[in-house]
Amino acid sequence: MSQIIYVDQQPTTASAPACPRMQVVRKHHVLVRWSHWLNVPILLGLILSGLAIYWASPIYQHKPDPQTGNFDYFADIGIWICAHVPGLHHYSDPPDWIYNHTSLGPGMLGAALRLHWLCAYLFMLNGLVYVTGLVIGGGWRSLLPRRTDLRDAVKMFRFYAGLPFAWLARRTWPHPHFRTKYNPLQRIAYFSVPIAGFLSVATGWAIHKPMQLHWLAAIFGGFDKARIWHFWLLWLFVLFVIPHIVLVLADGWDTLRSMIVGWSAKSGNSEDVHHAD
Amino acid sequence: MPIEGDNAALDPENAQPANAQSATETPADDVLDVKETESLTSGSSSAQQADPGQPDEVEATHAERGPDEPQLTAAAPLPSTEANGNTDEQTEQHEAAPEPVEREAALLENSPSVAVEPDLLPKRTGFFQERPAEKVEVAPQVLRRRTRREVLLFGAGALAALAAGGSLLPQATLNRLGVMHEKKPWPGKEWLLNRALRVDDDVAEALFSQNRLVPTYTKSQITPLKNNYNGATPDPSYIPEWHLQLRGLASGLNVSLSIRNLLTRFQMHDQITRFVCVEGWSAIAWWSGLRFDDLLQAYPPVSQARWIRVESSVNLDPWGNPDPYFVSLDIPTARQPQTLLATHFNGQPLTVGHGAPVRLLVPVKLGLKNVKAVTRITYQKEQPKDYWAERGYSCYDGI
Repeated sequence: MSQIIYVDQQPTTASAPACPRMQVVRKHHVLVRWSHWLNVPILLGLILSGLAIYWASPIYQHKPDPQTGNFDYFADIGIWICAHVPGLHHYSDPPDWIYNHTSLGPGMLGAALRLHWLCAYLFMLNGLVYVTGLVIGGGWRSLLPRRTDLRDAVKMFRFYAGLPFAWLARRTWPHPHFRTKYNPLQRIAYFSVPIAGFLSVATGWAIHKPMQLHWLAAIFGGFDKARIWHFWLLWLFVLFVIPHIVLVLADGWDTLRSMIVGWSAKSGNSEDVHHAD
Repeated sequence: MPIEGDNAALDPENAQPANAQSATETPADDVLDVKETESLTSGSSSAQQADPGQPDEVEATHAERGPDEPQLTAAAPLPSTEANGNTDEQTEQHEAAPEPVEREAALLENSPSVAVEPDLLPKRTGFFQERPAEKVEVAPQVLRRRTRREVLLFGAGALAALAAGGSLLPQATLNRLGVMHEKKPWPGKEWLLNRALRVDDDVAEALFSQNRLVPTYTKSQITPLKNNYNGATPDPSYIPEWHLQLRGLASGLNVSLSIRNLLTRFQMHDQITRFVCVEGWSAIAWWSGLRFDDLLQAYPPVSQARWIRVESSVNLDPWGNPDPYFVSLDIPTARQPQTLLATHFNGQPLTVGHGAPVRLLVPVKLGLKNVKAVTRITYQKEQPKDYWAERGYSCYDGI
């Protein structure tokens, strides 16, 4: 191994740069990259089927509405949308609107369960791939929170919150400096999301096998509470994904490319580059 | 989980590859060797100096350097150029340091980085401490070529995942979305989805233990249980004529038991357990009845029997037409001591809505296996058909 490195080094050590060179840093291990992108279809499948399963027995219910007969708070969102969005006033079944647009649809429990199990097993396998990539590539160290993170995250949050206004006012709005791979806000997000993924799997098993794994359900406060956990973890993912996409697109091609190619041309962590979430 | 020595991570010196190398336990004379005969030994010494925490990365650099990318060179194993780059970058970073805390930390640990031969002062980095990103020097066209290749590869993967994932959606959803309208479903679709169900059933079966009891509750924890007859609730006129028929017995006889037989010949057991529906709701309810295991002991099944078909002939569909209900049940589950043929609910004989006079109560299965108004039990070798498995649900249904 050392021999080959030695041989390959010759051109650079011996002769001055013959062709222009640039420095890139290895940012993401190949397994991390693959598992990252595989999460897109898997999470989409889990959410679409998960909400179709939720339809069968909503957690949040009220007394049936005398007009629509609806008792599901989540379906109320669809009813409200149909009543207030122009062009939807004649939607055939307003209580179904939200399930028709966020899930496989109402009344599809059997099909939704099959898809949910398939995606759930793939999600767990993918989680293993991700963790393997983190360990092999050593990337896990960059995700660990620091003692200063909470204070610095506020600083980052202020930066993001003020950025659009500074842009409108044509004022300079300097990015806070951090000498780490991720800024504190990113670090909090990237540290929490795998934990949320783990909790989703754990609560999923708790409500999937509440008898054989009753101890697991008990950890989350019993079967019914584990369902509530599982439901809100979904919204935590949604809450993460939206700014994640917005900030990556705002941050530019290098950040997006680094999750595809693995290399970032923004070498050195100290540069005041806009690290996206 | 705050990390000790956090400020040290902010120290510019630590962020430099050359110093990361110095953290290794390279023997001092080895380093001196390098200084003396630099060009000759740089190859081998760089391998020794490479961070032992990241041997895989060195290998990876190596493996990825295919014959088509000869320009690519790892920057890390170049002690001499690194050292120069170092000082440049350090000054930059000192200027850039925005935080008084960071600057302080930088100043505190500054002195070793000024030393001419930092390699002589081995320095440990914490196990949890962030390591500097591995730098690779590369010609711009290599980056472009690699980007093109990877974007195409990942793009093809994304399209394939989209097509495969989209075709896995239920036909009703696809129809509603207006895609694949009249098209025949992809032949592997059913297979793959059924396979996922089967794997899940196998997992459930592996988790099951005949001797493991499910949690029981107190009377104060009881919650209401609705009449969840899938169709219409049957007319109670079947009750006076009701008999439980047993088929597939070792004796070869067909046995018919009345409710009086069951109540007098078998010991009654009370239990307050959770009843979980596939839809997601659950209820804690107080049941009494005879153990299925006791029935199996009293009327042993044929020796090769592995399965039980439990059916109710009085079940109705939503329009009130006869719709016999049947489920498959494995014998180990029937032998679990909390599997009852329940005759009482909340201390009272079962009502029609809860499956009078006898229902199957199997807490280790989904509610849909808990057949109401059981009329026949058949022991058999092959796995029997299952009402809900025929409608796209799983068939083992262990929870």
